[in-house]
Amino acid sequence: MNGKQQKDLWQAVQIGLIMVAIFIIMAPIVWIFLAAFKSHVDVYQLKLFFRPTLSNFETVFQEPFNLGSKLFNSSFVAFVTVALAIPIATMAAYSFSRFRLFGENAMLVTILATQFVPAVVIILPFFVMFRDLGLLDTRVGLILVNLAIVMPFAIWMIKGFIDGIPVETEEAAMVDGSSRLQVIRNIVLPMAAPGLLTAGIFCFIIAWNEFLFALILTNKHALTLPVGLALFKAEEGDLWNLLSAAGIIIMVPMFVMALAIRKYFVQGLTMGAVR
Amino acid sequence: MRDNTLKYLLVLPAVVVVFATAIWPLMESLRLSFTIGRLNRPGSLDQYLGWENYTWAFFDEPAFWNAVWVTAVYTLLTVALTTLLAMGLAMLLAPGGRLRSGVQTLLILPFAMSPALIGVSFRFMFNPEFGLFDAFFGLVLPPLAGISWLADPVLAFAVCVMADIWGWVPFLTLVLIGGLASVPRDTIEAAQVDGASSWRVFRDVTLPQLAPVLAVVIILKSIFSLKTFDQIFMLTNGGPGTATQTLSHYIYFNGMKYGQIGYAASVAWLMVIPMIFLTYAYARYVFRKN
Repeated sequence: MNGKQQKDLWQAVQIGLIMVAIFIIMAPIVWIFLAAFKSHVDVYQLKLFFRPTLSNFETVFQEPFNLGSKLFNSSFVAFVTVALAIPIATMAAYSFSRFRLFGENAMLVTILATQFVPAVVIILPFFVMFRDLGLLDTRVGLILVNLAIVMPFAIWMIKGFIDGIPVETEEAAMVDGSSRLQVIRNIVLPMAAPGLLTAGIFCFIIAWNEFLFALILTNKHALTLPVGLALFKAEEGDLWNLLSAAGIIIMVPMFVMALAIRKYFVQGLTMGAVR
Repeated sequence: MRDNTLKYLLVLPAVVVVFATAIWPLMESLRLSFTIGRLNRPGSLDQYLGWENYTWAFFDEPAFWNAVWVTAVYTLLTVALTTLLAMGLAMLLAPGGRLRSGVQTLLILPFAMSPALIGVSFRFMFNPEFGLFDAFFGLVLPPLAGISWLADPVLAFAVCVMADIWGWVPFLTLVLIGGLASVPRDTIEAAQVDGASSWRVFRDVTLPQLAPVLAVVIILKSIFSLKTFDQIFMLTNGGPGTATQTLSHYIYFNGMKYGQIGYAASVAWLMVIPMIFLTYAYARYVFRKN
């Protein structure tokens, strides 16, 4: 075999491997998509070709599953969590980015570290406290604990964005007589807006997919979508077609959001360790 | 307002939130770990019994050591396999072009998927009667058809590892592609001109340059592997028996199902200790970058 043939062969092998990777990545997702549009009978027959139906999507919103209320809870909790976290994180991120603070590194490491604390450790005292305060199975309770997982990401991510905005514009405005708060409002916020939106979407995905807190703190009224998946069990076993329909409702909006911010995904999750 | 005051006022709300939602529960868990701490016995959350919960875990609970063992093997396997596979996939996709960039976009999807849902979908795929895997193996390797994957301790564990790999390799691949992009092209080309084989170029040029990113990947993955809960809960719920019961799952069961919150807190704190080392290691890389 000459050099050119060898190179062509190697190219073909690579393409083959890429195809295998695509297959492995897509298989579980496609499988869920197919099952969601299958009738109850077809799910158990492994058909690739079948008469698609939308009835699963109707059933999941009816009694006893009531996915609508879980959808509302998930959206509400994720939205309010983000609405609280982003302004608070932005203020802190600006300060960390532009000033030298006493104990700054200690604070930043602590914030980073809280992200790595196992969620089970955090949730035990919250369960006891919420039980005493009557906050179990409420959306308010869920929002409070969700802040714990979202805040560190938000602060680190937004700090990264603000670090990237040149200081000179701000300094020029200050020389012209603007106050610091005016500078933040008129210069920093508009320039950081895409970054804030990105961080907001990122945190929304995390809050939406959150499972352990919702599992422990809710049981009926404040149930979220991921925990609601457990409802699709009948005496004869899992109701796969309904589970899949619910699965699509959970994952498709997150796919759209994740694709929208894909450039920043890596930076966000590694908290700036990799850009 | 002077900057000197303002800069502290700006961080104050964030500090309060982080303290209330993370530091306080961490400390309160530590306190609970020294109490009798039974959910159904009022007052037991303030009855201290010293180190008894810890000694109980260490000397009287085989289930604790089982969970430690399961978590350790799970972490080692998932970290090693995801890192290796992600490295390979990153090398494969890094050159770019239409096909490769398209696949890079697909890589976002598994990570946007709720881990609980990943658990569900893998349970579905490994169903012995109508799962995708069964159909696939039935076609390719008929002797493997009809196996009850999740009923066998070793196979169930393997399925959990597979689900983890499926969820994490794509994201770590993206991280590594980001790392590969920062390896200077001309160094690689210079080595190629000197006649170095692809493997030598990879080992002597690419790998050393990639080391910091690789370290970040390994530490980050270790942390998330140690914490694993959602997928396991939905996939096997720790079973069959306790074959796939990780520490997080064990803590959840003791604290929430058996109401032994004091004991659960002590095991939880035993889990915090390795996290402290990993976080310290991670923070060093973050600050080097900033």
